[in-house]
Amino acid sequence: MRHHQAMVYSLARHFLGDPSAAEEVAQDVFLQLHRNLGSIKSSSHLNFWLRKVTAHRSIDCARRRRPDAPVSLDDVPEPVAPASSPDSGRDGAHDPAVAERLQLLVRALPEKRRMVVILRYQEDLELHEIAEVLDMPINTVKSCLQRSLAILREKLTRCFGDVPV
Amino acid sequence: MNPLDDELRSALRKTEPSPDFTQRVMQRIEAEGREQPARWSWWSWLAQAWRVPMLRWAATAVACIALAVGIAEYQRYRRVRAEGEMARAQVMLALEIASNKLNVALAPVQQVEGHQVRRPPSGARGRADSKAQPPR
Repeated sequence: MRHHQAMVYSLARHFLGDPSAAEEVAQDVFLQLHRNLGSIKSSSHLNFWLRKVTAHRSIDCARRRRPDAPVSLDDVPEPVAPASSPDSGRDGAHDPAVAERLQLLVRALPEKRRMVVILRYQEDLELHEIAEVLDMPINTVKSCLQRSLAILREKLTRCFGDVPV
Repeated sequence: MNPLDDELRSALRKTEPSPDFTQRVMQRIEAEGREQPARWSWWSWLAQAWRVPMLRWAATAVACIALAVGIAEYQRYRRVRAEGEMARAQVMLALEIASNKLNVALAPVQQVEGHQVRRPPSGARGRADSKAQPPR
């Protein structure tokens, strides 16, 4: 469990943006795993199962918490560009402000697209793996990811014009 | 690599939950394990009853008897049905034979009736003859 808890918790945390709700979801996932231990066939199947259950439980949790329409990307307040050094982000050192802003922007994406982006960049999953986890056609995953990246790039460029995105 | 990809990987890196996370999950699992026996259901009752050898044998015997009775009843039903079908076929055959006999018997009668219809009535001929011969 210790081996997988960071993955499960982080998926929920990045998706929901709320540490306590993410812990609740992660606990539910491990409880469900305990009930279904007999159906797990291998280590890779366990990873797949955990990602799938966490993704679906996080989406359900988000829908329960906020049944109305999700916040639009345009509603996310645009912060003033931080006074970071011009070289930040170019030499491999990541700007915390950019990371924080990206987390906010990802959280403002629609549910499915948000989960696609999180699975792609947190878990480094290929498109077909994401399609399997989310029960979506691979072309939908591809278009979701492209659209999300275009939006994120545009928003980030608007905030941090000097950061190469 | 695309700088945005790099930034996204950094922003969405894995984080550990609170240190007592594992402990809390284990507590919930234990609590669930304690709650489960208290939950009564037909399935759990059946599973418990099945563990008693006497009950297991009794249930098996009842099932075997029920199966045997069922098979016997089905065989009886099939036999009665076959007898009924045979009786029906016999009745149909008898009706067919009777119908044929009646047709044979009816044929000469119809023939005779046909001749009578074609022949003129005897009273009319008598009157015509009396008209042809002058009275003496």
